[in-house]
Amino acid sequence: MSKTTVGLFGLTGCAGDQLVILNCEDQLLDLVNAIDIRDFLMASSANDEDCELDLALVEGAVLSKRDEEKLKRIRARSKALMAVGTCAVWGGIAALNPEVDRAKLLFEIYGSQGAQYDSLPPRSLREVVKVDLNLTGCPIEKGQFLSAVSSLLNGDPPIFPEYPVCTECRMLENNCLLIEKSQICCGPLTVAGCDARCPELGIPCVGCRGPVDEANFSSALAMFGEKGIPRERIAAKLRTFAPISGDHS
Amino acid sequence: MSTQIQIEHLARVEGHGGITVELDDGVVSMFRFDIFEGARLLEGLVRGRGYEDISPILSRICSICSVAHSLTSLKATENALGVKVTPQTELLRDLLYRGESIQSHALHLFCLAVPDYLDYPSVIALAADHLDAVKLGLRLKTLGNSIQETLGGRAVHPVNAIVGGFGKLPSVDSLVALRAALIQGVADCETTIKVLASLPVAEFCHTDTVFAALSSPGNHGYYAGDEIVVSSNGQRQSVRAADYRSLSNEKAVPGSHAKHSSFHGKPFMVGSLARLTTNTQGLTERARVALDDLGLRLPSDNPMDNNKAQAVELVHDVHSALAIVDRLLRDGIKEEGCVAVRPKAGTGTGVTEAPRGLLVHSYTYDDEGRIVAADVITPTAFNVASIENHFRSTVEQSASKDVPVLKKKLEMVARAYDPCISCSVHLLQRRPSVDV
Repeated sequence: MSKTTVGLFGLTGCAGDQLVILNCEDQLLDLVNAIDIRDFLMASSANDEDCELDLALVEGAVLSKRDEEKLKRIRARSKALMAVGTCAVWGGIAALNPEVDRAKLLFEIYGSQGAQYDSLPPRSLREVVKVDLNLTGCPIEKGQFLSAVSSLLNGDPPIFPEYPVCTECRMLENNCLLIEKSQICCGPLTVAGCDARCPELGIPCVGCRGPVDEANFSSALAMFGEKGIPRERIAAKLRTFAPISGDHS
Repeated sequence: MSTQIQIEHLARVEGHGGITVELDDGVVSMFRFDIFEGARLLEGLVRGRGYEDISPILSRICSICSVAHSLTSLKATENALGVKVTPQTELLRDLLYRGESIQSHALHLFCLAVPDYLDYPSVIALAADHLDAVKLGLRLKTLGNSIQETLGGRAVHPVNAIVGGFGKLPSVDSLVALRAALIQGVADCETTIKVLASLPVAEFCHTDTVFAALSSPGNHGYYAGDEIVVSSNGQRQSVRAADYRSLSNEKAVPGSHAKHSSFHGKPFMVGSLARLTTNTQGLTERARVALDDLGLRLPSDNPMDNNKAQAVELVHDVHSALAIVDRLLRDGIKEEGCVAVRPKAGTGTGVTEAPRGLLVHSYTYDDEGRIVAADVITPTAFNVASIENHFRSTVEQSASKDVPVLKKKLEMVARAYDPCISCSVHLLQRRPSVDV
């Protein structure tokens, strides 16, 4: 049986998810032998940019026409497309303030040339093309990536957690930063999979993995409100990495 | 007759960029490093956020140097808010930064640069014939990542370094484990020097180069220091960190469409080679000998020597990290908690040495600790003028004007700078075509 053909691509972002893949040092050589990597610009200068792919892994958000066209070309040549990382899944930090006047910021940061830039408001991949799988995280977790890929190679759908960071944090028996220390911890609303990395270090969750399914934002806002934390501060925190449900209502 | 050399997608670098050089009757008429990275506008988007949010957001500018962005951000914020961290915090940050440098240099040398020297398209292809060298590189990369995980809580986008100190201090057990890995690392560095010394010579251009780096007090390091040294033909000049703008007064240059950073009108190079040139005295004994092992003479007029300089730093960092871990194990780690922060209005600048060179974050806060202005200048933004300058020299000094030959040379020169294009917050994107 021929090997699964794979392409790894980056749109606008920090390349952190591709770096996590390259950071799987102990599995990297086995991984590249198990699949047939055809297109991986960050790691190779010999790429087939046109062949059909069984699986495309795409990180980053769509922030330019160039990104949009590239993503559409990837979609057209791929049987399955997996959004990799919070930027690809939710838009990520570039989308942290949807109301911002981008033209004004382009001018302030880049001067008069800013107006000539190929710049679009940030979008996640699923706002542009059909996405088959979403692997979230800023950056993604090694273990989840490796298990998702091995599930796919075995023809099984990958399984991702459907519960919040709080569940993992409680299993580690940490003191609650929100209830006991009145800190803005995004754990109740954020999808698990990181082993409560930040609360485990005594640092409030910043929500970098994006929201858990059916996250109850209004109840969370009320709970934070009872702690005397101003609503706009909470809302800004909660939408740093992904839109909160109210953004689309 | 006009010839165009165009590399649409530069491979094996972080981010999206390309190279265009044009020749008219053998004379270089245009040379540029194109940036295709979408504008994320992060400096504008953070406005209004509280001081504790800034480092987690702005570390996301880049993944390979996320420790650098995170720690430079903390330095700027702490300077602005008048927070003085403890010597133990400084030492732990120094160690964390060395972890990143080891990870980044190992990744760049073995996975991105060495394949060029031996004519392979990728580290994957290289592994088929040189498995031991690839495994060596991956081991060193793992070592750097382990340091980042132990101190920073995560290899990419560290979470544990926060304003005023650390969330959780490393345990004795984790330091003992690091020590064992570092001892293996010391041996791996010896092999690395042998591998690097055996590579074919790469010399594509020779030009007088101006270098700029943070002046590192004591041991050659990346985090401490508040003074930038510019070295030109043996002359040294100092610039205070807070006056960083005098190094980045961007101006247009004929033949290129980038706005260029310059010092007294000259482009300058930042990164490993610049650091070694300005801070040679702080190197460990073994790193100093490694300079000779690799035949690296300073100051160098060959930008490809930045690869050798990274190998020397790799040796220096592994030895220095081991010394820091030994000191921490000997003296013990004190549970001292984070320094308390009292928000106040003010401006602060943090300058450090990212693996690719000088990195500046400068912030202004209001009296409630919310950020009103953020300015970030990355190593690749400083380097773009020098990169383009070396593109021009490479093409001018090449005996062969064959396009495939020139393409390979230009790609290797660009890669030697280890450009980080996601980082290029302040750079121009693909610039509109304008005739010279």
